[in-house]
Amino acid sequence: MNLRILLVLIIGSTLAFQGCASKGNELNSSLSQQEISTVNDPFEKVNRVVFSFNIIFDKIILRPIAVTYKAVVPGFVRNRITYSLNNLSMPITAVNNLLQGELRKAGVSTTRFIINSTVGLLGFFDPASSMGLVTETEDFGQTLSVWGVSSGPYVVLPFLGPSNPRDFAGLLSTSLLDPMYQIGGGSAPGSLRTYRLGTGAVDFRSQNVEILDDLQNNSIDYYAAVRSFYSQGRESQAASNLEIDSSEQENDIFDDFEIDESYVGPDIEITYD
Amino acid sequence: MTKLKIHIYILILCCSFNPAVLASNFTEEENFVTSFADSAISILSDDSLSDVERTSSFTELVMSSIDLNLISKFVLSKAWKDASDEQKEEYLIAFKDYFVSSYANKLDQYAGEKVDVVGSQEAGKYVIVESNIIREGTDTLKINLKWRLLNKDNQIKIIDLNIEGISLVIAQREEFQSFLANNDYNLDKLIEKIVSVSD
Repeated sequence: MNLRILLVLIIGSTLAFQGCASKGNELNSSLSQQEISTVNDPFEKVNRVVFSFNIIFDKIILRPIAVTYKAVVPGFVRNRITYSLNNLSMPITAVNNLLQGELRKAGVSTTRFIINSTVGLLGFFDPASSMGLVTETEDFGQTLSVWGVSSGPYVVLPFLGPSNPRDFAGLLSTSLLDPMYQIGGGSAPGSLRTYRLGTGAVDFRSQNVEILDDLQNNSIDYYAAVRSFYSQGRESQAASNLEIDSSEQENDIFDDFEIDESYVGPDIEITYD
Repeated sequence: MTKLKIHIYILILCCSFNPAVLASNFTEEENFVTSFADSAISILSDDSLSDVERTSSFTELVMSSIDLNLISKFVLSKAWKDASDEQKEEYLIAFKDYFVSSYANKLDQYAGEKVDVVGSQEAGKYVIVESNIIREGTDTLKINLKWRLLNKDNQIKIIDLNIEGISLVIAQREEFQSFLANNDYNLDKLIEKIVSVSD
């Protein structure tokens, strides 16, 4: 535990310092132009090796479990599990809302958690949303981005998949800051933490069986496709937390593209088979 | 847009975020998205069609609604300008096959989902129409979709689909650029790869 705290502090403070130094007052404007187009991946060679390892791990262990889960457990029950996982992430979301200075959102997350844990039968149902209590989940990586920490280079972690130094620091801090971790029996087998980690992985993987199979089979460069999804997704979350319209980031890219009328190309017949 | 990578965002996001409330200024574009989505859903959920018929009607609808020529050039980026006419032709044919074959397989899972348009805004020479789809079997899990449209000579075409903050065209472009960077920027190798994947 002490080692973990130390790690978080070191990584966190390094990033925070870096962030303050490089961002300064231009936080908003620089973030809106962040690396959505240019890929920041200096460790690509190592990342590709870890990525291949993760694919094998997925093929042998995670995917078969997810496929079985999907086949055996009815959709209704699987949706309940998704809701319960979402509910268990509300306390840490509330903590992050506070750290981001979002008092109103912190109130919504907390109220959601209380209502869904009780009226919503331990979070398996979501009456809070019908009452208009809707919120996004927040993690510490997103909080760091609100604080001006830039994501840093793209990194693929063994087992955990796509990340970057900012999100990895966030991941480590989450286990320290999450109230559900503290009261949920820590990392002991059978604890709430183990339920969330294990079920969370299976829940998420089972929702993506066909899509990921499809993506893997049809990709020109699967590694690059996943990298783009991850980076774009995280940057747009960061933009939404800073209330920047994320489509403005894209506009720059699309505006750079001149509509080229010089070459019309062949008239191609489409065949359906 | 390729492969209808619709659910991949879950891999990354696991939650939906509230779209900003947009003023609806572009009625024509909004209607275009609504009618495109309605037609797509009605094709996908039409049980009287055979699989082949469903795939071909869907492909026809998509092909008539997007500007594939523009997308093809955009995803190739700088390499397009450096290509010979022969390479351009080969590439356009290969990309079209790839585009058709990669999303035609997995259509069934999108049947029954309704698209609600929530607003639109101008974005340079484009218009972005924002919409939500509700995950099947739930009433609260939303997926946010943004359609980038180009109105050229009174003809509206889809240029990009952004799912929960992820632009499919930009993702495709980064994939192609990455392949080129790892293969000495050899366009012929990319074309070869595109052909082999769509076979």
